[in-house]
Amino acid sequence: MDTFDLGILEIKEAEFYSDSGGFAGLKYKGEDHAHVILRRIMPLRHPFEYISVADHDNKEIGILKNVDDLPSSQREIVKNELDNRYYSPEVLDVVSVQDKLGYVYLELRLKNKKGVEYKKNCAIKDVSRNIRMLSDTSVIIFDVDGNRYIVEDVKRLSRQSLRKLDAYLF
Amino acid sequence: MTYDYMYTAFAANGVPVKDLIFAVHTDMTLDGDFSDTYVAVCRKNLYILYGVERVVRVEDSRRLVAQYDTHDVVTYPLAELGELKTESLLSTCRLVSSHEGNEQLILLFTLGHQSFVDRLVKVVKNIIAGEEEPMFEIRLEEALFCPKCGHRFPEPERALCPRCADKMSIFFRLLTFFKYYKGKVAACTITMLFITIMQILGPYIGTRMFIDDVLTYDGRFYQMIGMVVLVIIGVRVLATLFQMAYQVVLARTMPWIIYDLQVRIFEAMQRLSVSFYTSKRTGSLMNKVSRDARNIYWFFVDGLPFIVLNLILFIGIFFVMFRLEWRLALICVTIVPFAGIMFYILMQLFQRYHHKMWVVSSQMNNMVSDSVNGQRVIKAFARENEEATRFSASNTRHADAWIGAANLGWTAFPLIYLFLFVGQVAVTAIGAMMVINDEISLGTFLAFLAYLGMLYGPLQFMATVSNWWARCVDAAQRVFEVLDAKAEVEEPKDPVKVDSLKGDIVVKDVWFQYEPALPILKGLSLEVKAGKSLGIVGKTGSGKSTLANLIARLYDPNEGKITIDGINIKRLPLQQLRANIGIVSQDIYLFIGSIADNIRYARPDASIEEVIWAAKMASAHDFITKLPDAYETRVGAGGQDLSGGEKQRISIARTIIQNPKILILDEATAAMDTETEGKIQNALNKLQADRTTISIAHRMSTLKDVDSLAVIRKGKIIETGTHEELMKKKGAYHKLYMIQLEGLKVISMD
Repeated sequence: MDTFDLGILEIKEAEFYSDSGGFAGLKYKGEDHAHVILRRIMPLRHPFEYISVADHDNKEIGILKNVDDLPSSQREIVKNELDNRYYSPEVLDVVSVQDKLGYVYLELRLKNKKGVEYKKNCAIKDVSRNIRMLSDTSVIIFDVDGNRYIVEDVKRLSRQSLRKLDAYLF
Repeated sequence: MTYDYMYTAFAANGVPVKDLIFAVHTDMTLDGDFSDTYVAVCRKNLYILYGVERVVRVEDSRRLVAQYDTHDVVTYPLAELGELKTESLLSTCRLVSSHEGNEQLILLFTLGHQSFVDRLVKVVKNIIAGEEEPMFEIRLEEALFCPKCGHRFPEPERALCPRCADKMSIFFRLLTFFKYYKGKVAACTITMLFITIMQILGPYIGTRMFIDDVLTYDGRFYQMIGMVVLVIIGVRVLATLFQMAYQVVLARTMPWIIYDLQVRIFEAMQRLSVSFYTSKRTGSLMNKVSRDARNIYWFFVDGLPFIVLNLILFIGIFFVMFRLEWRLALICVTIVPFAGIMFYILMQLFQRYHHKMWVVSSQMNNMVSDSVNGQRVIKAFARENEEATRFSASNTRHADAWIGAANLGWTAFPLIYLFLFVGQVAVTAIGAMMVINDEISLGTFLAFLAYLGMLYGPLQFMATVSNWWARCVDAAQRVFEVLDAKAEVEEPKDPVKVDSLKGDIVVKDVWFQYEPALPILKGLSLEVKAGKSLGIVGKTGSGKSTLANLIARLYDPNEGKITIDGINIKRLPLQQLRANIGIVSQDIYLFIGSIADNIRYARPDASIEEVIWAAKMASAHDFITKLPDAYETRVGAGGQDLSGGEKQRISIARTIIQNPKILILDEATAAMDTETEGKIQNALNKLQADRTTISIAHRMSTLKDVDSLAVIRKGKIIETGTHEELMKKKGAYHKLYMIQLEGLKVISMD
C-alpha cells in the first residue's frame, strides 16, 4: 500500500468546469480533459466519496476522494454530473403494491435530488433480486427498465407504506 | 405514444404540428429535474418541449381533461445538429449531438425511454440522409404498455399484463388441469353429494324424528325404536361407503393431475431461453418445481374437495334450518357475514406471510448451496465462523417469518372461534325460550342445535382452508409465471428447410445487450467462409463469448442479423441450427450418468465404436480406460472426480459425435496447463478439419493455425486479417501479441 499510488487527485491542482456543450471537464496539473466521465467507486454506501474521474477515452485520471473537498461551484458541477448519471429518486411513500403472477407493480411517490416530488408506476420482476436491502434501514429498488429508486430509511416511511413494502424486504 | 394535448402545446409554441414526423415522450430536464418532456422532429427542426402534465376539471363540468403546462421550448435546426447518438449512463441516458468536432448535450432521460429515443435518432438520421420515408422500417412498439391499465409490460418481448390477471382467473386456470379427468371428477362430485345428503339427514332422523315421532305420545312412529335405530345405522353405513368410494376415486385422480402439472412446468423450463435461467437463481427454480407443485397438490387433495363438500353442506344445512325454524335460522344468518369478513381478512394476511416465507426459504437455500459450492474458498480464507453467522442471520429471518405467520394463526383463530361461540350461546338461549313458550318442539330445538354445530364445522374448516388457498394461489402464480414465460428465442414461424448447411457465416451490424442500456456488442460485423477458421481475440468483457452465444442462438441480437449460408438464423429451425453448431467452451457441464452417456449426449443412438472413436479423437480414451469403470464411470454431481482437462476432453468427444458443420471454440483451453492444452489443442485440430471454425481465445498461442483473425474491442471488430498482415500493420493485434510475448519471456526467465 505504501508504495502503490492510488491516484487520489490533488484538490489544489484540480479544477472541474462545465463546458458550453453541457459536459463536465477537468483541468488537472496543466492538462485540460474535456468531457470527463465520473463514476462512483462505492455508489451505494459512499455516493460522494471516492469518485473515479476518467477522460473521454475512459482512462482514469485519478480518484476524487471527497466531493465536499471541492470549492462550492465545482462541487455543484460534480454533484450534478453524478446525480444525473446515478439518477435514483428517493421513495417518499409506497402508494400501492400489487403482486401479480410474480411481478410486482409499485406506485411510488418520489422525490428527486432537486427536491421535486412526483408519482410514478413501475413494474418489477424477480423481486428477491430487484428489491434489495442496502443496510438495515435503506433499500434499493430496480424496475424492469433498469431505473433505480432508493428508500433512504425505511423507518421514515409511513406505517402504511412500510406495511406494503415489508413482504419484499429481506 | 403521442397525445392530443401535446400537439396543442406544440402548436401554442409556434411549432408547425402538421409537419411533425415523429415524437417521443421522455421524463427529465437537462438539469436532472422530473419533467414531462416531448421531443418531436420535422424535416427541418428538432423540438423539445419541457413541462408538466396535469389532470384538470373542465369549468362548469365534472369532466376531467389532461392539460400540459409548458415550461420551455427548445428548437434545434437539423442542419446544425450534426450526428445524434444516445449514451447510456448508469440509470439515465443522454442524447448527444456532435457537429464539426463539438459535442452538445441535447436531452437527458431515464433508461425506460431509451428505445423510443433510439428510434427518434434513426428518424433524424433518415431525414438527414434524404430518405423519402424517414419512418421506413421503424416499428412502433405501442405494445410496451398494457392497453387496459396503462402499466408497463414487465417482459419487453411479451405483451402480457400480469396486473390485469386476477386471482379467480388463476384458480379457474388451475381447474383446467381437471379437464382430462372429467369422468373421475364427476364420480368424485356425485359421491361427495351423497355424503353431504347423508350428513344432513343425520340430525333430522337421529334427533328430531327420534324425539318428536318416536318418543312423543302421538308421534308417527311412537315406540318404534328398533326401526328408527336401524334407519340411523343404515344412513351411517351408506355415508361411510360413499366416503370410502370418494377417497378411492380421489386418490386415483389427484396424483395424475399433479403429475401433469409437474411435467408441464419442467417442459416449460426446457423450452425457455438461457436468459430465463440467468435471471432466476437456482434455489428459486428448484423451489418452483417441487414446493409449488406440492402446495398445489395439497390444496387440491386436502383443500378443494373439502371446500366443495363443506360448501354444499353449508347450503344444505341452512336450507334444513330454515325449514325447521326460520326465526332461529335468521339469527344465524346475521352471524355468518361477519365470520366471512373475518376469514377474508385472515386470508389476505396469510398470503402475505406465505409469500414472505417462500422468498426467505428460497434465499436460505441459495445461501446453503453458495456455501457448499464455495467450501474450498471458505476454508482457504478460514471464514467458517463468519459463514455460520451469515447463515444464522438468514435463518433468523426465516424464523421471524414463521413466527409472524404462527402468531397470526394463534391469535386470530381463537378470536374468530370466540365470536362464533357467542353466536351459538345466543341461539341456544332464544331457542330454549321458544321451547318453554311451546313455540317449537323439543325435537326441533335439539335438531336445530345439532345443525348449528354442523354449520360452524364448515365455517371453521374455511378458516384453515384459507391458509391452503393462500398458499396454493401464491404457488400457482409462480407456476403460471413459468408456464406463461415466453421463450425469448423462438422457433421461426415460417422456417427455411435446408438439407444440409455448408457453414458460411455472416454477422452484420449486430447490437446486443443483456441488461437494459448496457450494450455488449455495438454494431459488430464479420464473415467466415465455409470450411475456414477465424480466430477472435480481445480483452475479457469485449463481447467474444456473447458473439458465440448469438451465433448458436442462445440469445437473439437486438439489432442486425446473423446468416448461415445466406439464411437468417432466425428462420432456421432451432433443432437444425443447433445440430449444426458445436460449442466447446470453458464452462464444461457433465450430466449425471456414465462417461459414455455423456459422450453420446447429442446422439443417443451412437454405437460403442463411435463413442470410443470420438474419445480417441478427443485424446480422452487413454485416461477413460484407466478409470475403474472405464466408459461406465459415473460422472456429474456425486460421481467420479475428473480434472478440468479430462472433463474438457469428454466435452470435445461429445462435440465430435455431434459432427457439426460449424464449430465454436470459446476459450476451450483457457483454464488448462500447457501439457493438457497441447493434448486438447491436438484434439481440437482434428475436430476442425472441414468445418467452419470460430475460435475465441485470449491466449494467442491457441490461434496460430487459424486462417484469419479478428480483434474485438468494446463490442466492435477493429482489425481483421491474417497473423502476418496484422503483425505488419502494427495495430491492436500487434500490441496484444507483443504483450503476451513479453509475458512469456518473463516466465521463461523465471
